[in-house]
Amino acid sequence: MDLRVSSYFDRSKKVNINVNNMKIEAYEGECLAVVLFVNKIKKLRLSPKKKQSRGMFCLMGSCQECAVLIDDKKVISCNVFIKDGMKIKVGDFDKQQNKI
Amino acid sequence: MILINNKTKYDVIVIGAGPSGVSSAINCAKRGLKVLIVDSNHEAGGQIYRAPPKTYKSIPKNKLEENEIQKKMSIELKNYQIETAYNHTVWQVSPGFKVNAFNDFSTIQWETKSLIIATGTYEKIIPFEGWTIPGVIGLAACTVMLKSHHFIPSKKIILAGNGPLLILVAYYISKFGGKVDAIVDTCSKLDWIRSTLSLITNQKNFNDGIKWIFKIFLNRIPVHSNCKIEKAVEVDGGIKVKILNLKTGEYKNIFSETIAIGHGLTPSTDITRLLRAEHIYDEHKGGWIAKVDRFLRSSVNGVYLAGDGAGISGALAASDKGLLASTALLYDKKIISKKEFDTNTRKIKKKLDKYEVFAKAISKLNSIPKKLIENIHEDTIICRCEDITKKEILSAVDQGAKDINQIKSWTRLGMGPCQGRTCQYTASKIIAEYLNCEIENLGYLTGRSPIRPVPIDRVLGDFDYEKITKVEAAPL
Repeated sequence: MDLRVSSYFDRSKKVNINVNNMKIEAYEGECLAVVLFVNKIKKLRLSPKKKQSRGMFCLMGSCQECAVLIDDKKVISCNVFIKDGMKIKVGDFDKQQNKI
Repeated sequence: MILINNKTKYDVIVIGAGPSGVSSAINCAKRGLKVLIVDSNHEAGGQIYRAPPKTYKSIPKNKLEENEIQKKMSIELKNYQIETAYNHTVWQVSPGFKVNAFNDFSTIQWETKSLIIATGTYEKIIPFEGWTIPGVIGLAACTVMLKSHHFIPSKKIILAGNGPLLILVAYYISKFGGKVDAIVDTCSKLDWIRSTLSLITNQKNFNDGIKWIFKIFLNRIPVHSNCKIEKAVEVDGGIKVKILNLKTGEYKNIFSETIAIGHGLTPSTDITRLLRAEHIYDEHKGGWIAKVDRFLRSSVNGVYLAGDGAGISGALAASDKGLLASTALLYDKKIISKKEFDTNTRKIKKKLDKYEVFAKAISKLNSIPKKLIENIHEDTIICRCEDITKKEILSAVDQGAKDINQIKSWTRLGMGPCQGRTCQYTASKIIAEYLNCEIENLGYLTGRSPIRPVPIDRVLGDFDYEKITKVEAAPL
């Protein structure tokens, strides 16, 4: 079941994004946090002390829970619009992040 | 590229381009003031009328009311030639006033003589065991997913909490062809019936509400009244949810994929706290709010509060509150006469008084039953950013921490990326219940910048080493 509602808007062109080396199809300009969520990629990062999985929560830039790595930079995914070929890392990314 | 030295000065900066921000910006621009409106979204609309992504192309024959209102707001700002800084997140505001924001590429600072804060609200969510599981989201998050991004959140979903968002989200999911497994409402059906007399004062919203409830009946969505979610556990392919009937004490298990939960809204006070404005606690208005006079002036000269930021009263009232705050600003700047001020504010206040009846009834439906706080298990995480449990908070209280800022420095509660937006309300409630005191006595978290995490490379800027002012090191 596609969870997209298409009665009010036509989406733009289909693109691919790369999430932890996995190919995910989406439409250009869709919200990254939402696309990950409906694709059941819900575990976006680990909490600092207990290392519990966390995911999208408020979807309005308040809680900061939906942080992911895009091109190795930490951003909150609720404020990111999908572009073709975007490289995203989710999960235990503090280890993966290039520390300066 | 860093634009930090590229200062632009304005008469008024409006922070937040929701209904109240837009109406106040227009009111100021009409009188010839140089206005800038800032918002972290890519268009005007706020959260309630949040714009769909730019790449979405509307289908003319089908229209969603909220999307149409949003379009009008963006067009109106353009018609009045109001400068907009969309995609800009404000992370610091200092007296004077200097407003610092960042976008995808750089940091920018603007200067202004007056500030209208129209930053709205965010959702209040009372924790339960398992609320940090990915797949547990806010009801407000669902509204954004549905009305702005045009996605059904999940194939299977439980809606929990209380208030109008419960029925609104259920309505939209059903309308868009999705399925709601259950509604878990802390209120009773009688609570809803009792509120009708007050709710009917706002005909438009009342009619919408009736339409939403009708859809819930039609779709035979099971409604568990007087109930709360006690515990959620991740199981194969979803979440097992244990619900508790607050009246009978009975438990029931439901299985679903997603939980959406919310207990009303709380005003965003990030900026007024940064500016050291006075705040008061008002449970019915959503919690801690900036103290304002009858015309929405804050305790800081030149700072005005518009919309729900000065207490929750809903979207329809918000644009009138924007008018009221900006009318006060115009009068204070001697742009309009006392006579014009009196006539205009009297008219607006009359309308607003009507909305207050409605707002009070909504706030009652969104009230937090004592049991919701008492029942929180001691191992439940309260501060999600720093993984601080109820037990850790209470043990700090036992050791002598008696206000919320002391709790913060002892436990790190509220010190993470969200700066306490998610946990302050619940933490204060827990401590107040434990100490049997009023929340006022615990104070509120002192505002600290950055109010949103800002990438350090964007703050640093470009500079020559020679230009740095060197300070003598302190003698050892």
